Amino acid sequence: MTDATHPSVAETRAARRVTLRHIADSAFLIIVIYLVMAVVYVAVQPSALSAYSIESLFNNSLPLMLAAAGATFVILQGGFDLSVAGTISLVNVVIATTPMEGPGGALALLALAVALGMAVGAINGIIVAYLRIQAIAATLATMIICQGIALLILKAPGGMVSDFMVYELTASLTDRVPYALVIAALGVVFWTIYSRTDAGRNLLAVGQDRKAAALSGINVQRTEFFSFVWAGAFYALAAYMLAAQTSTGNPSAGEPFLLLTFAAVALGGTAFGGGRGGVTASLFGAATLMLMQKVLFAMGVSSFYTGVIQGMIMITAVLFSAAVHHAASNRRGA
Amino acid sequence: MSDQTAIPLEDTRKAQRISPTVVTVATIYGIVALMIVASRLVSPSFGGLSQLETILYLSSFLVFCAFGQGLVILVRGLDLSIASVITVGGVLSAALMDGSNAGLFYVIPAILLACALIGVVNGIGVTVFNVPPFIMTMAVGIIVYSLCLGFTGGTPRGFPAPVLNDFMGSRFIGIPAPVWLLIAFAAMGTLVQSFSPFGRKLTAVGNNPEAAYVAGLPSRRLTVSVYAISAACAGFTGILLASYANGATLRMGDDYLLPSIAAVVVGGSSILGGKGTFLGTVGGAMLLTTLATILSALGIGQGWKTIMEGAVILLALILLRDTVFDSLRAVLVRKD
Repeated sequence: MTDATHPSVAETRAARRVTLRHIADSAFLIIVIYLVMAVVYVAVQPSALSAYSIESLFNNSLPLMLAAAGATFVILQGGFDLSVAGTISLVNVVIATTPMEGPGGALALLALAVALGMAVGAINGIIVAYLRIQAIAATLATMIICQGIALLILKAPGGMVSDFMVYELTASLTDRVPYALVIAALGVVFWTIYSRTDAGRNLLAVGQDRKAAALSGINVQRTEFFSFVWAGAFYALAAYMLAAQTSTGNPSAGEPFLLLTFAAVALGGTAFGGGRGGVTASLFGAATLMLMQKVLFAMGVSSFYTGVIQGMIMITAVLFSAAVHHAASNRRGA
Repeated sequence: MSDQTAIPLEDTRKAQRISPTVVTVATIYGIVALMIVASRLVSPSFGGLSQLETILYLSSFLVFCAFGQGLVILVRGLDLSIASVITVGGVLSAALMDGSNAGLFYVIPAILLACALIGVVNGIGVTVFNVPPFIMTMAVGIIVYSLCLGFTGGTPRGFPAPVLNDFMGSRFIGIPAPVWLLIAFAAMGTLVQSFSPFGRKLTAVGNNPEAAYVAGLPSRRLTVSVYAISAACAGFTGILLASYANGATLRMGDDYLLPSIAAVVVGGSSILGGKGTFLGTVGGAMLLTTLATILSALGIGQGWKTIMEGAVILLALILLRDTVFDSLRAVLVRKD
């Protein structure tokens, strides 16, 4: 796989530096935006710093953060995955209809959920990478099918989520650091490591230029395939945490995630079309999107009009990150 | 693709006569006809001309908005603002007409123009500011929906003009008026997309934007106009839906966004742009509508219904792949 052609060591290093620079660029920006927004939030809502308030903020944000993290894998290689809504609905109802108590049960359910998510991802991957069907169209179909299966499992909102998941997973470590924040931090750690592995670099290389990636010996189809599998795993985690947070199952639980996930990824600065961005940026993008709703509410903006501001911020964020990227690549002389 | 260039010149000409487009469109209508005939097994009242009429009637709404979606997809775009713009069309027609026929001649164009302006915003964002179509149209959709929500306070008021209401229920030479409208629209749409200079330019932009630019095509202006047309079509759908249901709701467009994309791709268009016919899209819309009516007549649960819908889209995608046609064409050419 890697031994097909050997670019010189210097070239590889340079390419690596450029790639890392991109990741740093985009994640850095959104982290700054997030922190600024957090300061504004604390300023308009002094109670925001209470333990309860922090805990609920992170619990609310985590499912979208994980979903956006998953979608990023596919978007980075230049694909699209609409199945996020269907996968979340499906895994959510499976969790709510599979009673398993206690920490052991929660762990077993986690394994079941992730396996299911990866299975859906693998199906997407086969259809897109190997049957060569356009990703948007193919995942639109699998999304609808997953929603149908979710409806078969659970006709209406209901089901049961174990007390352990509902109370322990949404609590805080030593009553101060929400587990949701710990999980999000693990996501950042995971991506920091993954993006430095061959698989992670291939993902970005395929997104930047498919032909060049193939010529340099990267197995493009396999990279595409696994991007969908990783995406499925993260959607499953999102569904798992959603079940813990809402303490119930809902066959249409995933629907609100469809557009918000892509909004979060865009806000994070990951380029649609692939090759630039990262999971960390998307995690912060999703967190920013959720925090923004709180800020707007705290500032007294009528909930009717929050969409106007959300939409505008999305467009501005994309423009801004493209401009920064443009400036950065000009300075490099690339 | 590369196989095509390898075929000698005279063979290419023969192959063109059995173009994949014709095969695709014929296949889709064949499947629709087959489904309608087979649906007699489901219910004795099905399978006849009256069912065809119902299907044409119901699919007309999807066809109108899928035309715009198809043009946007043709130039490598995607319009996710369709649902919100349908709502705008419906809400505005209910509010502005307010149950009276007066001023219909300027109210309808005004609504279409307002919607087209939303499309212009989409187009400018995509072309001038290089925002990915997915993000631009989604953001504009969210903004527009939020404005609708704010202005109506959550509950749209008013009624569309009675004349429009009557139109939706009227018949002309024994066929419902909206079906005539659908036929006229399909003919005009096909003319625009496949047989007009405008349509050919769009195909050129979709096939290769750089080449189209070098060839001197005003790519930006073309792309902006396509988004404007898409939004106007969505607005038109909204007006008709409001007239059909005699009122508007804020979520009235939701059921048309994903189906509009599905109709276009099932109809044989490439979601990557540069390829597609409106007749195919009409067939795709009819296929989805036929399937939905049969499935609801079967009385199976919502779950199975949804699974079947997804499976049919997936099956159509797999069957309508280029490679399938390439091999089919290769066989036919060899027979010649």
